[in-house]
Amino acid sequence: MDLHKFGFKFFAADAERVDLLALIPVFHRWIQTDALPDLLLDVGDYSHLPAGPGIILVAHEGTYGFDEAGHRRGVQYYSKRPLSGDLPERLATVARKTLLAARLLADEPELNGAVRIPGNELRFFANDRLIAPNTDEAYAALEPALRSFLDRLYAGAPYTIEREPDPRERLGVTVRTEQPVALEALLERL
Amino acid sequence: MSPELAREIDVFEGQIALKKQGKIEEKLFAEARLRRGAYGQRYDNGQRHDGIVQRTIPFPCGDLNKGPETVWDAPGMQRIKIPFGGMTAEQLEVIADLAEEYSGAVLHVTTRQDIQLHYVHIEDTPDLMRRLAAVGITTREACGNAVRNVTACPRAGVCHGESFDVTPYAKAMAYFLLGHPDTQDMGRKFKVAFSGCKDGGCGLTNIHDIGFTAKTWQENGQTKRGFEVVVGGGLGAVPYEAKLFDEAVPEEEILPLAQAICRVFARLGEKRNRGRARMKFLVDKLGIDEFRRLVLEERKILPHDPRWTGYLEEVAAYREQPLKPAKKLDLTQLTPSFDAWRATNVYPQKQPGYAVVTVTLPLGDLTSWQARQLADIARKYAGDNIRLTVEQNIVLRWVAEADLPAVYRELEAAGLSVGGASKIEDVVACPGTDTCKLGIASSRGLAAELHERFKARQQSGELDPALRDLHIKISGCFNSCGQHHLADIGFYGVSRKVGGTTVPHFRVLLGGQWENNGAAYGQTIGGIPSKRVPEFIDRISAKYLEERQEGERFRDYVNRLGKKALKELVDEFATVPPYAVDRSYYSDWRDPREFTISDIGTGECAGAVVPRIEFDLQAAEQRVFEASVYLDEGDYRKADEAAYQSMLIAAAGLVRTQLWDIADDPDQIVAEFKARFYDTQLFQSKDAGQYAGGKFAQYLFNRHADKDRAFTADKARRLVEEAQLFIEAAYGCHHRLQEQQSQAMAAFGAPTAPAEV
Ligand code: SF4
Repeated sequence: MDLHKFGFKFFAADAERVDLLALIPVFHRWIQTDALPDLLLDVGDYSHLPAGPGIILVAHEGTYGFDEAGHRRGVQYYSKRPLSGDLPERLATVARKTLLAARLLADEPELNGAVRIPGNELRFFANDRLIAPNTDEAYAALEPALRSFLDRLYAGAPYTIEREPDPRERLGVTVRTEQPVALEALLERL
Repeated sequence: MSPELAREIDVFEGQIALKKQGKIEEKLFAEARLRRGAYGQRYDNGQRHDGIVQRTIPFPCGDLNKGPETVWDAPGMQRIKIPFGGMTAEQLEVIADLAEEYSGAVLHVTTRQDIQLHYVHIEDTPDLMRRLAAVGITTREACGNAVRNVTACPRAGVCHGESFDVTPYAKAMAYFLLGHPDTQDMGRKFKVAFSGCKDGGCGLTNIHDIGFTAKTWQENGQTKRGFEVVVGGGLGAVPYEAKLFDEAVPEEEILPLAQAICRVFARLGEKRNRGRARMKFLVDKLGIDEFRRLVLEERKILPHDPRWTGYLEEVAAYREQPLKPAKKLDLTQLTPSFDAWRATNVYPQKQPGYAVVTVTLPLGDLTSWQARQLADIARKYAGDNIRLTVEQNIVLRWVAEADLPAVYRELEAAGLSVGGASKIEDVVACPGTDTCKLGIASSRGLAAELHERFKARQQSGELDPALRDLHIKISGCFNSCGQHHLADIGFYGVSRKVGGTTVPHFRVLLGGQWENNGAAYGQTIGGIPSKRVPEFIDRISAKYLEERQEGERFRDYVNRLGKKALKELVDEFATVPPYAVDRSYYSDWRDPREFTISDIGTGECAGAVVPRIEFDLQAAEQRVFEASVYLDEGDYRKADEAAYQSMLIAAAGLVRTQLWDIADDPDQIVAEFKARFYDTQLFQSKDAGQYAGGKFAQYLFNRHADKDRAFTADKARRLVEEAQLFIEAAYGCHHRLQEQQSQAMAAFGAPTAPAEV
C-alpha cells in the first residue's frame, strides 16, 4: 500500500490537568529552538472546539498537536508530504516523530509534568481515503506492515488491535498493551 | 462530475506541473490558482518573525514560487464557494473528509457563506477539487478578480417577513455569472447578494457590488415579482453604502441587468490601481445617474441569452422538501438548558410546525467529526436543508418543532449545542493574524477571549439582557472581512509604537447596524491596545446600561452621546504601561510572540525622548477626529477641510524627518511629500504590507488637487475615512523607517538605540 499520509496519537493520562492555552507559548518556543526534526512553521489554537485538534504545531512535513479528538487527549502527529522508505519504515518515521514530540511535552518544564504519556495506548489512522478507505480490503492490505511495525515497537510484548468501526471515519486502529511502556524505550526501538 | 468541471481541474493540474517546470509565468499561475480558490496564507512569502528574530523559512522547494513572493511549499488556504450557503448532508461530509486529509480537520465558515480549509499544500488541490466536483461543488472563482460567492439570507423561503423565497434567484445568478465571458476581465472582485426583504434583511445588500432585495407589485391585476437593485456598496478600507439603481426590476430582467453591470465594470473599472478598482469607486466616480445610463445602454445591445428567462421555470418548480411532517413542540417536556438554547437558536418558520435551528460555531469553526455528526442530524431531522450563514454559523431548516428536543440532545452530544446565536457572545471575526497574510492584529484571539467571557457571564446570569442583542465584529485589519462596520461594537487591527516597541491595537467603531441589510456603518472613534479591549467593552456597556433612556438601543445611545464623549471614553483605555512594567501588552491575544524585537528592552522607560513625528501623527489623529465631529454635526465643509488638514499634518510630519523647516503651505507639503516619500516609494514600498501600492497617498493628492470641491455629506464622510487610513499609513511608514534605521545601526555595530532617539 502506497500510503504516505497517516498519523499516530499517543494517549495521555490524567490529561484534563493540561491547560491547552499553556501549550501555545511552548509550541512557539519549539519553533524558535527548532526543537523537532520537521520544519516548524506556526501554531494554531483550536481550543474552542470540543473534541477537536486542541493546539497544533504546523510543520511543512506534517502536523503535531495536543489533540482532543474522540474526547481523549493525546500527542498526535500526522504526515502530509511524501515519505521515503517502504511502508514499515514510513510507519516508524511517523511514529518516531510523534514520540519525540510526546517526550518533549512530557519533559516540558513550563508544564510541570502535566502531560503524561504512559505509552500503552496509541491510535493509528490512515489520512488518505483515496488510497486507504476504511474498508476490510484496505485494512487487509495495510495489516501486514502495521503488525510488523507494532511488533517492532512493542518488542514482542502482546498488544490488542481494535479497528475504527465507522466506515466514514478514517481507516484506523487503537492499539493497547497491558503494561505502560516508557517513551524512551519505544523511541529506542525505532 | 460534469465533464467540463473535470476538464477544468485537469487543466489546473497541468498548470501546476508546468509551473514546477518553470514554463508558466508567475503572475499568470497566481491568477489561475486564485480563480480556483487556492489562496495564499500567512508567511507564504517564506518569512516569519518567531518572536526573537525574523527568519527565512527554508522550505525544500528552494526558489520555486506559486505567485510573486509566494513560496511553493508554503501552506495555503482553499476557499470553497457554496452559493447562497446551501449544502446537502453529503456535501458536508465530503468537505469534512477533505478537511481531515488536506487541512487540519477543521472547517471554517466565512462571512460570505464559504467554507475555508487552511494549511493546504498546492499539490493536493487538484484531488481536493475533484472530490468536491464529485458532489457538485466547484471552487471556480472563489478568489481572484471574479464574481465571488453569491450570498442570500439563510432564512430565505421560511422567513415571516420576506416577499418571496430568493433562493432560486440567487442560485440562477450564481451559475449564470460563473465563468461567464463578461465576468472574466474585471479589475477586482465582485460581490452579489440577495435579500428577501428590506427591513429585516439579513442579506446585507447594502454592502455589495449588486444587491437584490425581493419585492412584489401589481401589474395588470397580477402580482409581479422582482427586485429593488442597489449597486456600488462595499466595506473594505473605506466603506460605501450602495446606491439605488432601480426600485423595481422584474425577475426576467435581473440576469441581463447583472450581465450589463459586469460589462460596464469590466470595461470602465480601474485596472492598474487595485486600491481603487472595486465597483464602488466606479459608481462614485461616474455618479449613479451616469452609471445607470451606461448600464442601460449596454443592456440594450446585449445579445439575447435564453438563460435570462429560462431559469424562471426552475423558480416556479423550486420547492424545499421537509423530511418529516410538521408537528408542534410538546411544551410540557422542556428542560431549562433546552429552553435557553431554544430562545436564541430556534426560529419558527412561516410554515407552521417547522423551525430553523441555528448551530452556533465558535469563531466559525467546526471539526470534521462534528461536521459528520451534523450531517447525520440533518439526515435524520431536516434532510438536505442545510445553510451556512454570513454570521459564520450553520442552520438546519425544516425541522419539525416536535423534534427540537431530540435535535438539541444530538447537537449537544456533538458539542454543537452552543446557544446565543446572533447574540453578543456570538462574536464574528475574520482569520486575522492566525492565517491571513494581511492581518495586523489577532482578531480570532480577541474574539475567542470575548466569546468565553460573555458565554460565562450569560451562564452565570451576570449578563444583562439589554446587552445580549449587541453584535461584536472584529477584523484583523481595515479590510473589513469581519464586517466591523456593521457591528454595534466593531474593531479592526492596527499597531502603534509605544516606547519604541510595537503594540497591537484595535480601532473601535461604534453604532453600526447589521440589520436592515447593513443599514448603517459604525463611527470610528479611536484606537486602544488589544489587551484592553475587554475592559473597554465592559466600561461602555456598563455606561450604556446606566445612562440609556427607556427603550433606547445601543446605537441610538452612542449617537446621542456623541463623538467627543465617546472619544474620551476610548482614551481612558489608550495608555500602555512601559514594557518593563507589563510585557503582556506587547504581544497579542493567544500569541505570546512579541510584535517586534529589534528594540525590545530599550527606550521603553517613561520619559524617553519622543521625536517630533510622533507628535505630528498624534496631532493628525486629533484633527481627523475633529473632522468626524464636524461630520456628525452636519458641517460638511468643516469636516472636509479638517480631514484634508489632518492628512497635511501627517504628510508634513514625515517630510519634517528629512526637511526640518518645511513651510506650513499645502502646495509645498504635498510637493515635498510626493518627491521624498511617494516618488521614492518610501511611503508605499513593497515592505509596507497593507500600505503598499500608493492608494493612501492618492487620497491626499486627490483632495489637494480638488480645488473646486463640492462639500457634500458623502464626500466629507469618505474623506474622513480616507484621512484615517492615510494617517495609519503614515504611522506604518514611520515605523518601517525607524526599524530600518535601527537595523542599519546594528549592522554597523553601533549599539541599537531606542527608536525614538
Ligand atoms: S480583514 Fe484583514 S486580517 Fe481580516 S481576513 Fe480581511 S485582510 Fe485578513
